[in-house]
Amino acid sequence: MIRDLKRVRNIGISAHIDSGKTTLTERILFYTDKIHKINEVRGKDGTGAVMDSMELEKERGITIASAATYCEWDKHNINIIDTPGHVDFTVEVERSLRVLDGVVLILCSVSGVQSQSITVDQQMKRYEVPCIAFVNKCDRSGANPIKVSDQLRDKLGHNSVMMQLPIGLEDKHEGVIDLVAMKACYFEGENGEKMVVKEIPDNMMDDAQLAREEMVDAVSLFSEELTDAILEEKEITNEMIMSAVRTGTIAREMTPVFLGSAYKNKAVQPLLDAVVSYLPSPLDIQNEAIDIDNNEETVILESKFDKPTVALAFKLEDGQYGQLTYIRVYQGCINKGDTLINSRDGKKFKAGRLIRMHSSQTEDVDAVPAGHIGAMFGIDCASGDTFVSPAINYSMIAMHIMEPVISLSIVPKDNKAQINMSKALNRFTKEDPTFKTYVDHETGDTIIQGMGELHLEVYVERMKREYNAEVTTGQPRVAYRETITKKALFNYTHKKQTGGAGQYGRVAGFMEPCEDEFEFVNKITGGRIPTQYIPACKQGFEACMNKGPKLEFPVTGIKVTLNDGAFHAVDSSEMAFKAAARGGFLESYAKAKPVIKEPIMKVVIETPNEFQGACMGLINQRRGIIQGSQEEGVMSVIESQVPLSDMFGFSTILRSATQGKAQFTMEFSTYRQVPQSVAEEIARKKQEEKTKNK
Amino acid sequence: MLKKDLISKSPASKTIGIENVKDGRFGAVLSRAGVGKTSFLVQIALTQLLNDEKILHVSLDDPMEKINLRYKEGYTNLIDYIGYIDPQKAVRLWEDIKPNKVGISYTESTFDTQKIKDYLKSFKKADLTLPSVIIIDGLNFDEDVSKSLEELESLNREFCVFIWFSMKNHREEDLCEDGYPIQLETYKDRFDKAVFLQPVEDKIEAVILKDGDKTDQKFKLDPATMMVIEDI
Repeated sequence: MIRDLKRVRNIGISAHIDSGKTTLTERILFYTDKIHKINEVRGKDGTGAVMDSMELEKERGITIASAATYCEWDKHNINIIDTPGHVDFTVEVERSLRVLDGVVLILCSVSGVQSQSITVDQQMKRYEVPCIAFVNKCDRSGANPIKVSDQLRDKLGHNSVMMQLPIGLEDKHEGVIDLVAMKACYFEGENGEKMVVKEIPDNMMDDAQLAREEMVDAVSLFSEELTDAILEEKEITNEMIMSAVRTGTIAREMTPVFLGSAYKNKAVQPLLDAVVSYLPSPLDIQNEAIDIDNNEETVILESKFDKPTVALAFKLEDGQYGQLTYIRVYQGCINKGDTLINSRDGKKFKAGRLIRMHSSQTEDVDAVPAGHIGAMFGIDCASGDTFVSPAINYSMIAMHIMEPVISLSIVPKDNKAQINMSKALNRFTKEDPTFKTYVDHETGDTIIQGMGELHLEVYVERMKREYNAEVTTGQPRVAYRETITKKALFNYTHKKQTGGAGQYGRVAGFMEPCEDEFEFVNKITGGRIPTQYIPACKQGFEACMNKGPKLEFPVTGIKVTLNDGAFHAVDSSEMAFKAAARGGFLESYAKAKPVIKEPIMKVVIETPNEFQGACMGLINQRRGIIQGSQEEGVMSVIESQVPLSDMFGFSTILRSATQGKAQFTMEFSTYRQVPQSVAEEIARKKQEEKTKNK
Repeated sequence: MLKKDLISKSPASKTIGIENVKDGRFGAVLSRAGVGKTSFLVQIALTQLLNDEKILHVSLDDPMEKINLRYKEGYTNLIDYIGYIDPQKAVRLWEDIKPNKVGISYTESTFDTQKIKDYLKSFKKADLTLPSVIIIDGLNFDEDVSKSLEELESLNREFCVFIWFSMKNHREEDLCEDGYPIQLETYKDRFDKAVFLQPVEDKIEAVILKDGDKTDQKFKLDPATMMVIEDI
């Protein structure tokens, strides 16, 4: 691995589903000599792309798990993570972005900025990851990269600057004009591997000059040297422009826009040049950790090899040699045989086999230095753990993990399947923090929870294929929540005298709705409840949040204020106050007008114009709220919010309503109170279930 | 209470009258470019939303985001106009009424009444309340739109939905004999209501061109908010 970090790039490739992320990665690997044959995502030979190594990925033509690989370009070492586009697998994108220094945001030149592009953009903002944009599919009918660049500005608020102009579009797309070098680039050879640089065609010269002026004007904001050169009418060198673009990009104040067609092998090489020229090296990015031993103060990590090691485990996989842990080293260097500490549990371990990944292939290495991405075998840890040298006790800041919104009961077919299912679930829950599982004590069923139907479907399929665990699935269930809508008082005394030491505790106060999950305010004065019992009161209230008294769904959004109480010198205990708090909760909960809330999904349908009315109708029939519809060329985009419970099986219905021509994406948006009629229906079903289980 | 206050202060109620907003087939808001046709149409739609009715806003000029922004702005103007209101209440009310508005953005070439018809049919199919008013903003009345109007008339009959249009006239054109701009004159028999907006000094004057008893009444509007200043 290259030790000169200026020549290292850790980048991700992110975009909306089917924008061509994996196709582009495949081309990058081909041009950098990592692979010697291009395989298409949905190729006729059934081989599938190298990066889609999971069988299921090849079959479905989607990326499920983000795969890591590396390549070399222009003496630079580029570590690439290809991430899934489907929103159900968004945690994969989330954890990739956590460890990346830069992103290539791919946009489709026909569809432009789509819903997942918006989600990815929000994630990039959260982790402050700089990006460059690549407008792909310029060979497609209806391609309009300039419109896409404008959308990047209008919809995502990027300061997008076109760095290239297309030479022909749709079926006439031949290459690109590089506005920095002012040259035309064509791509020849069977796989476009030969980049031929020529003079700009005469008929495009005026446009190119205008576009270059605009570009130089936009990037001059980031370089005094360039501004001076413009004002003093001196010669503007390519280096000046490139340096300004790099500064603006790394500061996240501009997004250079490149274009081409990965599928048709056009303009991938200039994109690689851009990755090297404009995206940051590990030295350009400031990474932080918290020092646990020093009052959790923030410390800046330095990409120096002689400093104590700090690394983050960002992804786990079950490989043939045990658990494979993907790591990004931020400081120091992990050598084979080094002793490291997992700062979460303080456990010491020895770094065994170190590898660098190339999709499902591995390459052994002796060390993973700061600034690089690698993997370790045989470490027992969880995703998001920090590994440090014994001398320090740092922790990297955790990733943003969303709560699952959908669940499904699964029943193994036989005893063997039961054992295999447990193994599979154990591994999947470790690998994916948005995938959870538990046993419903009333029904005895194993319940799996995730971010969407496809998410759970993929795991059930993987259980069958990878673990030979045949399971039958029940109806998907929605993760309802309970909450209160008004303030209510409580004044509850827990008193028990049944021989021996008694139990006594009185709690009084009120509960009211709030924005947070749960809030506890202690306003006890004059020692009415001794301080040592206050935590027990809080625990008592908190314990009631797990199962709401109304319909036994988890409770959220409650603020409890404790302002009075009483104790007994002999009979009061922690247990007594916990019981009193439980009693207080139940007493006031019923008075606080509890309601059921359901997950509402943001659903975006893209459909040919002629089916717009029909698609809007489908949303209407599902208690959906249409936020608007917009025609973009031959396609219409319909944005709406629909309760998750009404979205089951929607893909089939949409297909049949639109002759299979429409597609949709769905992601969690918010929780909203269910209408009375639906609440009654939920209560009825719950009651039926209970009776059945008895 | 808040809803009633807002409805009574709305420029649509003060000029046309809330009971009158959807009485008939077609209505038009006329003015030169940039005077405030869309803002006035948004105020008409807002009175319907505040009245717990659904509306459909079809724009041939603005993208979806801009339509949504115009409604938010129109609502804020209305709230500010009636003075102090608990901001939380105002936000809650907005969240309540917002779902009843659907914005659709078409380009002139793809505007097709059949799509609107399909959409309205889906309401009937799902047994849902139909929108009471459709706003069509941006239809070019300088061209022959009689076919579109005919189709829209059939929508009005089938779904009992009143349709308000924006109608752009031009500075250099004279008014016709009966005081109508030429764009309205051509189709005047189809329209039951028409409001003409024109800048007078630093205000906007709204003249009711067509609306039974109210015809020829004039109102002064604030150009920034389109709120009624005083009766002339």
